[in-house]
This record gives sequence, structure tokens and C-alpha cells, in this order.
Amino acid sequence: MIGKVLVANRGEIALRIIRACRELGVRSVAVYSTADRDSLHHELADESVCIGPPPAVSSYLNVPAIISAAELTGADAVHPGYGFLAENARFAEICERVGLKFVGPDSSTIARMGDKAEAREAAAAAGVPVTPGSKGHCESVEEVKRVGAEVGYPLVIKASAGGGGKGMRVAEAEAEVEAAYLGASREAGANFGDGSVYVEKYLERLRHVEVQVLADSHGETVTFPERDCSIQRRYQKLIEESPAPGLPEDVREDLMAASADLIGSLGYEGAGTVEFVYADGEFYFIEMNTRLQVEHPVTEMISGVDIVAEQLKVVSGEHLEIPEDALYPDGHAIEFRINAEDPNRNFLPQAGLVEVYNPPGGPGVRVDSHLYAGYVVPPYYDSLLAKLIVHARDREASIRRGLRALDEFAVSGMETTLPLHLAVLEDEEFRRGGVTTRFLADRELESEGGLLRLVQHFS
Amino acid sequence: MPEMDENRRDPLPLREVEQLVELVRESGMGEIRVRQGETEISVRARPEVPATSSVNQAASGTQGVSEGGEPEYSPEMDGLHAVRSPVVGTFYRAPAPGEDAYVEVGDTVSAGQTLCIVEAMKLMNEIVADVSGEVVEVLAENAGGVEYDQPLFYLRPNEQ
Repeated sequence: MIGKVLVANRGEIALRIIRACRELGVRSVAVYSTADRDSLHHELADESVCIGPPPAVSSYLNVPAIISAAELTGADAVHPGYGFLAENARFAEICERVGLKFVGPDSSTIARMGDKAEAREAAAAAGVPVTPGSKGHCESVEEVKRVGAEVGYPLVIKASAGGGGKGMRVAEAEAEVEAAYLGASREAGANFGDGSVYVEKYLERLRHVEVQVLADSHGETVTFPERDCSIQRRYQKLIEESPAPGLPEDVREDLMAASADLIGSLGYEGAGTVEFVYADGEFYFIEMNTRLQVEHPVTEMISGVDIVAEQLKVVSGEHLEIPEDALYPDGHAIEFRINAEDPNRNFLPQAGLVEVYNPPGGPGVRVDSHLYAGYVVPPYYDSLLAKLIVHARDREASIRRGLRALDEFAVSGMETTLPLHLAVLEDEEFRRGGVTTRFLADRELESEGGLLRLVQHFS
Repeated sequence: MPEMDENRRDPLPLREVEQLVELVRESGMGEIRVRQGETEISVRARPEVPATSSVNQAASGTQGVSEGGEPEYSPEMDGLHAVRSPVVGTFYRAPAPGEDAYVEVGDTVSAGQTLCIVEAMKLMNEIVADVSGEVVEVLAENAGGVEYDQPLFYLRPNEQ
């Protein structure tokens, strides 16, 4: 086992990694910005190094500062968490060059999967179904129109370097192609410094399902039962659950087998997630995330596997230790992202002093959070305050447990997404299961005596 | 004999020194200098603990623990200026091994003058004084690691 890991992140995920290190007897090094001097990751790690001023570009994205901190503390490996440098192939390459182990796949795999058009090609080559669309990049308006004529409208034009809905445009008909193509390309260039785009048939009523994978350096690969992440707002996931409600057993097996084929063909090492859209009994590959994901605890709850600990074993050159029964869902788990955003004011980000913090407890409840009473949420970073994960025998029981735990969850000092989650759990259609990614877009939020309610609008 | 040497000089004005120490302690001033003929006496408060607060601590019996409500002591309160590291790296006091340090305690430096090097990823970052003044303390160990924003030197800025 490696001796010391530098955690190149902050917030709840930095804590999550430090906790895994402590359980494995691995020393941990936290890095923090001057805005995070009072943060728990800085307190809980064995060592910590201040790496820069508040803006992420000068601290958590500051590669020379992070590499220097690793050298000064004698760290053997760097765990990037999610976000920040987690899918930065250049950073992974620099780590490789200076003899630091990067907790993740090698830099060329990150670069390959980071280009969404290339990732599509890799999936197709491995025999994984991809959404009908362009082969590789689309270089011109005419090329997009040719794809449109072949696969039909509507089409979605997406940034190759993109993610999170940026650099993405829908063309309902050929007449809209030019504006959509130019808009997507311009936005992709501005956001990712790379204006190249690719085209897919736009599937409107779909669910987002994904498969957690783990692979070690000895050729062993493991794929877990899928997660359903269809409750999204503007392409940002809010609720994730596993297994996907109502998914037929043979589809689950096919998803897991397709994911295994893809990572096998890549010679993948470490943890990753293969993302699919699922509609009308068919699934198509959309992209692969070559890192640990926010929602990994959902899989941990139904499998009993500590995914972060397995990542550390893999980077140490050890064998994965996954019992056979971990590959069948044990009950049902749901994760709620508690963000510092005000649902009543168009999800306006909140910052400031946390006055009261009293997370829920009891059976089947897990909270991953960096909050404490008296903590000041800085305005510089993402709005995730806590992840509440509930686990129970079946979906109905975990919804009841979710309602109970959300109700217990006390955070004061700022508005959060807690009331939104309660409203989703009260929704009839959500309770039936199998909703599409349009679930929240199709509904209005109504405020009723301090409580929120979702009202479906029919257009 | 040492006594002989002492006897050749004027006797030290110990009463006056005692009074000056008392004055520094009570006023909270950093330093008092008096000259009388050939004799110059300088009384300086220790930079890490101000004279006034050490008296308070002795009286209340709370050693090194800042009491509720009182701001924690920092040398900046005595008018010292901290030069902080702008990067994470390794601190070097001299341009190369075996060479003289850029500055020593007691040196007077001018704004823009190099004080040390912080090496990060093989890049030698020269750290310069941002004010003119006297080097009062070197806070980091040569060839040791420093983090972002860590104080490296205390300077006593020149009076404007």
C-alpha cells in the first residue's frame, strides 16, 4: 500500500478521501486555499499545505503549487477527487513525469475519453451502442445537415470538450442547423478553448443511467448495478438512486456487460463511470467520466464496497477485493444533493455563516459533508454542502426514510435545496419511478407555508 | 582581570536603564534609544511577546492562551511588517549553496531588494522586500518547505 496521499480537492470529497486513507493507515496531506483555513479537510488530514489565494485558478487548479506541496510533504500519490483537476490529462501527465502516482487512469486515457467525439468512437469500436449521429467531429454546417438527413431531427450539437450542458444546442429542423451549429461552436470555444463539436440524434424522453466501474492493473474489471440520475436541473444532477426503478434485469446485465467491454478495450485502470441514456428499452452510450463521481456513495450503499479504498488499492498495484455478492443490488439507495441554493429565487447560490447544523441519523442514513455549526461557506467554490444518502430494503422504504431524514436535517443561516428534495419525494410520478430527465423542467415550484410543492404544467 | 576593564569605563547607569525598561513596558513601544555623551542605551521589547502582554499574562496566570475577546497577538501589532511567501516551495536564504545569505537580521533593506528564493518546480522565485526597513527576524528555515502566505521575514519599516 502507498504511504502518503495528497488530496487535491476541498469540501466533502476531500474529507471522504481523507477518511478512506485513515481507515487504510495511509497518511494524508490536505491542500487548501486561504479561503479554506477553517475547513475540516485541513483539520483532519495528517498534514496540510496552504496552496494559494481563494480563486480556484490560483489554488485548487494551481498545478505548480499542488506538485510542490506533494514534493515538500513526500506524498507518493495524488487523489484529485471530482471537479478541479480530476479530468485534466495535462495534470495527470505532470504527475506521471515527476513520479507521483495519479489516482485514476493514465493521462492518455483521460485525454481520449475527455474528447466526447473520440469517446463515442471508442465506445462504438468496443461494440457499445451509441446514439445515432456523426462519426467523430462535425467540421461544417453542411456536415451537420448530412447527419440530420441520415438520422432525422431533432438533432443535438455538442461540444467535444464539453460537459454540464455547455456548448450544446438543439436543432428541431434543418432550418435551425446553421444557428445551432455556430452557437454551440462559439460557446464551446469560449468555455473549453476548443470549438469542435459533434452531432447526435436528440432523444427527448430519456432517463440518465450510468454504470460504476473499477479496474485494477492485473486486468480485473468490476461493473456495478446502474445508478439512475434523471432528476436534474439544467444538466446538474440533484438526486441519484440505485438500482434504476423498474429496469428489467436483462437490461441491467446488458448495461454492465457493455461497460465492461468498453473499459476492457481501453485497458482502463481505477474508478470510472460509463454514462448512458435509456429510452424505450434501448440504451446508448453518451460519455465516460474517468474519475470518482459525486454520487459514488449510492453504489457503496447497495454494494457494501468502499470505492475510494479500492481506488487506493489499485493505485498501489494491489488486486481489487470485491465479493461476488456486491454485484447484485442489496436493497435500494437514494442520494440527495443539499446545495447552498435558494429554490425560491431561481436557485441563487448562497454563502455565509452556518448557524445551526444538525444532520439526520438513525438506521440507513449516511451524510457526507464538510459542514459544522460556525463554518462559513465561502462564495468561491461549488454550492454542494452535503450529500444525504439513505438505504433501505426497497425503493418505497428508502423514499420513506428519505422523507424522514430530510425532515430531520437542520441547516440554518442560508437557503438550501432541502425543501426541493422533500417536494420531489412527495411527487406522484417520482414515487411511481422511472421519470425522465425532463421531470423538473416540466414542473413549477410552488411555495406553500414554507414548504415547496411541485406542480406539473402541461404545455 | 575583567573587573579592571569595567572599571576603566564609566559606570553603567543602571537606574536609568531600569526606568527605560519600565517605560517600554508600559508604553507598548517597540524600542527606546537614549544618548548621553559617549553612552547610548537602547531598550527594545522582544518582538515575539510585547512587554505589556507578558505582564498581563504573569498576573493572570494564563500562559500563552489568549483570553476570550482579546485579539490574538501578532507581531504586526507592534508595527512589524511580514514578508509572506507568494508560492508553495523550498525556502533558500542564499542565491546558491555556500554563498552568503541575501540578508541577515539587522540589515537594512530597501523596497525591491531580494530577500530570499522560494523554489517551486525548479523555478527560482526571488522574493523581494515590499517595504524599506530593517530585517528583524527570519521566520523560515533554510532549505525547508514553505506554504502559500507563510510569513518569511519580519521587517521594521522605516519611518516615512
